[in-house]
Amino acid sequence: MKRGGVEVRSFGYFLQLRTGVFSRSMVPAFFAVLCIIGVVVAKLDLNYLINEIFTRLGRNTFLVLSLLIPVVAGLGLNFGIVIGAMAGQIALVIVTHYRIEGLTGLAVAMLIALPLAVLFGWLTGLVLNKAKGREMVTGMILGFFANGLYQLIFLVLVGTVIPMNNPTLLLPSGIGIRNTVDLIGVANALDRALDGIWDGLIMFDLGPIPVGPWRIPLGTWLVTGLLCGGISFLMKTRLGQQMRAVGEDGHIASVAGIPVNRIRITAIVYSTVLAAWGQLIFLQNIGTLNTYNSHEQIGMFSIAALLVGGASTRKAGIGNAILGVFLFHTLFVVSPLAGQAVFGIPQIGEYFRVFLAYGVIAVALVLHAWQNRLPAKG
Amino acid sequence: MLRKKVFFWVSVFMIFVMMTCAVFAAAPTFKIGVVTGTVSQNEDEYRGAEAAIRKYPGLIKHVTYPDNFMQEQETTIAQITGLAADRSVKAIVVNQAIPGTVAAIRKVKETRPDIIFIAGEPHEDPPMLERYADAALISNNRARGKSIVQLAKKMGAKKFLHYSFPRHMSYQQLAERRDIMRQECAKLGLEFIFVTAPDPMGEGGIPAAQQFILEDVPRQVAKHGKDIALFSTNCAMQEPLIAAALKTGAIVPEQCCPSPTHGYPGALGLEITQDMKGNFPKIAQEISKEIAKKGAAGRFATWPVATGYLNTTAGVELAKLAVEKKIKLSDIKAVQQTVEKNTGHKMQFERLSNKGNYYMYLVDSIVF
Repeated sequence: MKRGGVEVRSFGYFLQLRTGVFSRSMVPAFFAVLCIIGVVVAKLDLNYLINEIFTRLGRNTFLVLSLLIPVVAGLGLNFGIVIGAMAGQIALVIVTHYRIEGLTGLAVAMLIALPLAVLFGWLTGLVLNKAKGREMVTGMILGFFANGLYQLIFLVLVGTVIPMNNPTLLLPSGIGIRNTVDLIGVANALDRALDGIWDGLIMFDLGPIPVGPWRIPLGTWLVTGLLCGGISFLMKTRLGQQMRAVGEDGHIASVAGIPVNRIRITAIVYSTVLAAWGQLIFLQNIGTLNTYNSHEQIGMFSIAALLVGGASTRKAGIGNAILGVFLFHTLFVVSPLAGQAVFGIPQIGEYFRVFLAYGVIAVALVLHAWQNRLPAKG
Repeated sequence: MLRKKVFFWVSVFMIFVMMTCAVFAAAPTFKIGVVTGTVSQNEDEYRGAEAAIRKYPGLIKHVTYPDNFMQEQETTIAQITGLAADRSVKAIVVNQAIPGTVAAIRKVKETRPDIIFIAGEPHEDPPMLERYADAALISNNRARGKSIVQLAKKMGAKKFLHYSFPRHMSYQQLAERRDIMRQECAKLGLEFIFVTAPDPMGEGGIPAAQQFILEDVPRQVAKHGKDIALFSTNCAMQEPLIAAALKTGAIVPEQCCPSPTHGYPGALGLEITQDMKGNFPKIAQEISKEIAKKGAAGRFATWPVATGYLNTTAGVELAKLAVEKKIKLSDIKAVQQTVEKNTGHKMQFERLSNKGNYYMYLVDSIVF
């Protein structure tokens, strides 16, 4: 831009010059710095922090990975994973009702969730195809809508239309599921699935420094690893290539003879099924089902984690997901304690955390918008 | 490639930090962890923690649960397990024991079975919670189902309006209380009206719920007349409910969590001065004056103690005695005495079942 003979560069351009190719890692780097500052300020017990992060990597990564396929297919961040999570929860209620426990219980829940999630995903896909270009906000509103249906089913229809007789699950009136369901049967079923080989517990003294106790949810990490492999493989198949083509440019893809709408629906179905299973993994780790709210927790936080990991609405990889979970959750653990340590007032810790956590989600979005504009300007 | 670089540097930094600032918590005596909401959720429980800190300097480690606790259960769990990571913490008081508490207790007890948990105002399913918490304190919602309606009738109500929403009606005790209220109304000849309000944890958040109350109360009063008792199950709705009742002349026999400080100061524009903090008789007196000034004497009532405040302060007291092995939390008499001593009021105590120490209490109301 020329102004009065002097060349004035936009800030974005300046940033690009300064950071060069590093700009793609700007968001994660920013978060990493925040995390480190937080850890130092909060004087956090690192054994606690590391254990917490190991747990959360197991608990959340599968869910975050479920977001990747729609991004590749050009549908942006799938806020509709909330609907997949509901499918997982329905399966869990059924499994708890029939008292199927342990790893078998979880496997049965996955099987039950599969057709439900396929159906929900298909319906979501149909709607999103009608709302091309506005998939994210449509997905979010669909989540609210589905939440209403979910409440109707579990609060009113169970015990009236859907016969069920189980005093531990139903409210005393016999209608509606209780607001918390104890998942003791499947609690940690996957996390501890490999206990026979190694229980994942790390605890020793490194000279004067106590290390641990850290517990690695081995089974969950393994399954998450398998999913990473699965997604990489899928992207190399014909379907994966078609998804990529649709994601790059729907019009060109359709000219090339790719059934765009079908591919988009397939992507959403995959994502919804993975979200359902991801929610099962999440809940088996938590150990209790918050019947009417557990699913609400996941959409926003999974998406935030992915963004923090350096993904954008158009480009996201497995690395982004894992790095994102690591950074986002470190910040979530560290920030309330950092806030409390800095200001000395407990509730400021909470306000500080909210400010930081949501503030940085906003910053992540802004930084992405910036980066998207850079190539166009440069 | 670059991501790998970032990863590498993060790891290097983490290890560096770990080496330099290994934290040694060398405390001679024990500590009690206290988890409450911030003042934006329910001020009483937070002020209770502050009072406990003043009473026992150095004993309390106070953290807060998220304002948005329905969505951020993971944070709640992390806050509680974080307290337990400190070896000197021997007891944890969670008030309110919001969803996630049971999961957190279970996680903590895996590695620290010695920690004593006191749950105030539990939200989770009572039969489930009583198996995990060492003791729980909550106002007796079943008994309140009767006592509130009886009080409303005494105050001149001909109809009884119950505001709530599906999520709350999935709480066993709240649903049960509503049914008891309906029965009691039928018995005393009051018409029972149930109105569904927006869930403050829903998309519209607290503002939508509060606005609904402000708009709906005048509608209901116009339809049913002034002699209608208003009751809502949600904390955030109390202030608009009282404000709207003041304007329209309706009756408010009790809030969801009975307390002079819950909703009244805000609705009346009453400032809680330094000398009033924690002094509940004084606060009640001031509220009484304000209400009389507005010509609404006899139309409002509450308990003389703040349940949120007492759950925290009495919870800390019980936790301290339990750690010092001076009380058995299963002894209902001893627990009742401790709590009564803490509040300075006579109370009625009841145990939920023999499977745990889930204590429900009742206090006589004061009418302003």
